[in-house]
Amino acid sequence: MRMNRNATRVVCTAMMAVALTALGLAGSASAALTGEFKKFEQCPYKTATVERCMYTLTTGGEVILGTKKVTLEKPVTIQGGYTEPNEAEGGYAKFFAAKDGNTISKAAQNVPGGLAGIVPDASSPFLVKALIKFFFENSLTGVSSTLELAKTASDIRINETHLAEGLGVVMKLPVKLHLENPFLGKSCFVGSSTSPITWEVRPDTTSPPKPNEPITGNPGEVQFLEGARILKLSNVELVDNAWSAPAASGCGGIISFLVNPIINAQIGLPSAAGKNTTRLKNTIYTTTAFALNKNYETEK
Amino acid sequence: MNRKTKFLRGFFAALVVSAAFAGSAGAAPAWNFEGKALEGSETVMGAAFESSLTIPGLTTKCENFLYKLTIKNELGTGKGELTEMPLYNCTTDTAACSVKTIAAETLPWPARLTKIEPSNYIIVEKAKVGIIYSGAECAVNGLLVRVTGTAGGLIDNTAETATFNEASFKATKTELKALSSAVIWSGVFPTEAFQWHRTQALTVS
Repeated sequence: MRMNRNATRVVCTAMMAVALTALGLAGSASAALTGEFKKFEQCPYKTATVERCMYTLTTGGEVILGTKKVTLEKPVTIQGGYTEPNEAEGGYAKFFAAKDGNTISKAAQNVPGGLAGIVPDASSPFLVKALIKFFFENSLTGVSSTLELAKTASDIRINETHLAEGLGVVMKLPVKLHLENPFLGKSCFVGSSTSPITWEVRPDTTSPPKPNEPITGNPGEVQFLEGARILKLSNVELVDNAWSAPAASGCGGIISFLVNPIINAQIGLPSAAGKNTTRLKNTIYTTTAFALNKNYETEK
Repeated sequence: MNRKTKFLRGFFAALVVSAAFAGSAGAAPAWNFEGKALEGSETVMGAAFESSLTIPGLTTKCENFLYKLTIKNELGTGKGELTEMPLYNCTTDTAACSVKTIAAETLPWPARLTKIEPSNYIIVEKAKVGIIYSGAECAVNGLLVRVTGTAGGLIDNTAETATFNEASFKATKTELKALSSAVIWSGVFPTEAFQWHRTQALTVS
């Protein structure tokens, strides 16, 4: 009996020691980056081909999709690593996903007018009317729009020279917009992996097709942090108003064959290039993978 | 001619005269040697006593900041062309970044003298310097950083120098930019003739 009790004690102590060690190791691994470098925790900086890391915080701006304008009220982060510039690709570098998969953070932005703004009751078929009535009566009329990556992170392209000079396309971003509401279901998207919306955002002046007119971004103000190991660009405004958007898909669940055409008619989808606008207000941080590795090694 | 017309004419004449005086007060100054206006052209050469370029968080200094400026007076106004500006032994104030290359681009850069009461200034236009920083930890490692714009420097006739700093840029409403942002360039340059007027005092007035 006593031997059994002792054996249990030994096993328990060993398990606790293993657990504590594991916790300790996990703690040191995740808390290794310090100061301003902490922003880059999700950058895959230990991946051999990752030369640099980027952390972009979008704190404002707007997206005009056809006839709908969504103001970005909630912050969105775009983060990950990227390679050396590829001269064969015009100096654009290939992107690597954030370690936790949140290369673009999912922030649901309010669509003005909600359900009433994108699904008019009067012109809808009976089934849609009945469902809208049900949702309106339940006050579930708010609609949100969430920016998501339409393809893999490796399809994103970054041009650091354009970012530094404040001229030209800085980022090519294949995205889709997720419209969410209980009525619209969980799979209502504008854009897809096969037909993405491609934003080519820039800090200088665009040259869009009509009816849009050229708009100008802002290259922002520069500051070096952590002994010039981090480049910070504040008040950067990246713009693109030459992109096109495909028709909506998957809206309304099993009655999507009825709801998709209504959404398309209301928003004006598919929306040709020259009818849509993106304006993103950002703070952009970049650093080198070497600096992160050194900070990690020094601090762990 | 009634009294009202007379008054208006007199008032208009006074405005014209005062405008003419205001013009001469702010008239562009000329290059002078030993108090006499320069005729023809002259070459001014020198090395900065001290010079630095500061982007917030990163200051670049060059031990040897040489320049060669060809000067002349055109219709009584001092003009010039910066024809050479070799930069050597440049370093930064950080451990992470070194200066791999630094060079003036698209020379010559036009220059002119201007008076902003009570001082004389030299304005260097179309300035363009390309800097490539190196260092595996440097945030702009391998990236070409271009410094472009117009620089205004204060002329000191007594010390025979042109001083470029935040105050001189503000006074002349000039600006140099790097990485799309305004940068501060500080430098004190001697103004000494090296051709026909060697050893003669160069002044601006």
